[in-house]
Amino acid sequence: MLEVSVAVARGSFSLRVDAVLEKGTAAVFGPSGAGKSTLLHAIAGLARSARGRIVLDGTVLLDTRKGINVPAHERRLGVVFQDGRLFPHLTVEGNLRFAERYVRPSERRLKAGDVADLLALGPLMSRSVRAISGGEAQRVALGRALLSSPRLLVLDEPLSSLDQGLKAQLLPFLRRVQAAAGIPMLYVSHDLGEVLQLADEVLVLEAGSVVARGPFLDLLAVPRALALFRGHGLMNVFRARVQAHREADGVTLLLPVQPHGEQAYHSCSPLAARISETRRVGEDVCLGLRPEDVALALGPVEGTSIQNQLSGVVQEIIEGPDRTLVVVNAGTPLMCDVTRHSVRDLDLRPGRAVWCLIKAQALAYLGECGAPRKAAQET
Amino acid sequence: MTVSSFLLTPGEWTALWLSVKVGLASVALSLIPGIAIAWLLARRRFPGKTALDALVHLPLVLPPVVTGYLLLLALGRNGIVGGFLHDHFGLDIAFTWRAAVLASAAMGFPLLVRSVRLAVEMVDRRLEEAAQTLGASPLQMFFRLVLPLAAPGLLTGIVLAFARSLGEFGATITFAGDIPGQSRTLPVAIYSYLQLPSGDAPAQRLVIISLVLSLGALAASEALARKARRGAGGEAHA
Repeated sequence: MLEVSVAVARGSFSLRVDAVLEKGTAAVFGPSGAGKSTLLHAIAGLARSARGRIVLDGTVLLDTRKGINVPAHERRLGVVFQDGRLFPHLTVEGNLRFAERYVRPSERRLKAGDVADLLALGPLMSRSVRAISGGEAQRVALGRALLSSPRLLVLDEPLSSLDQGLKAQLLPFLRRVQAAAGIPMLYVSHDLGEVLQLADEVLVLEAGSVVARGPFLDLLAVPRALALFRGHGLMNVFRARVQAHREADGVTLLLPVQPHGEQAYHSCSPLAARISETRRVGEDVCLGLRPEDVALALGPVEGTSIQNQLSGVVQEIIEGPDRTLVVVNAGTPLMCDVTRHSVRDLDLRPGRAVWCLIKAQALAYLGECGAPRKAAQET
Repeated sequence: MTVSSFLLTPGEWTALWLSVKVGLASVALSLIPGIAIAWLLARRRFPGKTALDALVHLPLVLPPVVTGYLLLLALGRNGIVGGFLHDHFGLDIAFTWRAAVLASAAMGFPLLVRSVRLAVEMVDRRLEEAAQTLGASPLQMFFRLVLPLAAPGLLTGIVLAFARSLGEFGATITFAGDIPGQSRTLPVAIYSYLQLPSGDAPAQRLVIISLVLSLGALAASEALARKARRGAGGEAHA
């Protein structure tokens, strides 16, 4: 558990955050300039002007009133920076060993070999960090932070310097780390898509103060948070288990499962999606779906090319300035973006039964999900 | 000795050997304080920083004779420090080999500090932040990150200071005099020979030796710097 109650002043910018983050992975989301990095620096002990109190799992890291300010090198937080920050005079292996060196053997939680396997770093080990690509560099940075056996892994927009394709390649690694390492994570990003693929709990920052915090779906009810979400890649992200490949039709059948992969949503019917990569049956993958790619109908539609029709119940209707977000419980919660006209026309209100229509192509494959978290912790 | 004595007289040989020894000793003496002051100037803010900076650089802009004279005032037998050392430890500095080393060190010091300072300033502070979050204390961070990254600049500084020592004349002759085997380094020896009616030939031999030595030092520095840059790029941690 991370309790943060800090104020940081930097020139004309000031940040004020009071928050308690409880869950395994929390995200700090906000547009550029919201103060996300400043908050992270304060938590990591790199912002000298930070005032207030920070407590991580009962250990006080900062308490200005009591004159406590644990220096950065004693906080044991692993930070993955936006720009990697690998040490240029060392090889990949040298960078990893640098992190390991300062951890007492009794406090080592991960082995170098396991981290290398997890992040597929084996072939890079003897390379100079100047001779590897941006995506590889971020993997090394992630591995380095993990090998410092941190009490909390802090990621500061670790993907923002990468292009779209590399981002998609790296996210599965992050999910793998999440599942295998068992280290709490604080993920900072201005990209909601990334946030939703990783975090259980979101802290929304804007202009140096907290707009809202809590489980993502609860935040949709906060107008300012919703407005920020819409501008930054709002999408449905869900975990789904591969059921069968229908090669003749070019689609794969998947069953949505609960976020941590413990069990399937039994009330949800399988979805057909186009998954270019072949995933084995029984494996979990992440799927993304933009709210504007979901259509609503009052009953099942016949004679249509749309392959996925999910029945559900309207949970909530969130009015926006121009469009309306309807949250439907279709086994898994689903955000659907519809016009106000449609809301009126279909007489949508909480409790009403609807059908969500989703084209197979609209379901974006976001990569593997990593093993279910519980199972990983037992091993 | 037998081979070289075809080329150099024992006196000339002594001057050459003394120059090299004084140069090495002055660099060795400057190294730790030089790195410490360079780091302070590059990374810290403290009262008196400008004054310290000016003091370090003074020998660079003062006539060397003045530097030598100031050293003599402070460290001569009648000076505050020199008198103390003489009275309590029986240690004399002025007009000994120690004075030659100190004069060289003072003249080379700003060159060493400047290049180390520049090299430390070039080290990305964000890398230092990363090292801190990985658990490296400030001292560990300095030895494992800052110093290796600043190594090419440090090498350049060492070679510059050494080369400056080989050429040092004004401060040496003022503070250390012209004592064979103690303070008659190459430049002092050349000057002395030129004062003699028959000194042209030995002076010219020493001039050639000086040229070879200085060019050699520069070439070595270039080679070392290149190796350090390559090392920084590819070599694994040791």
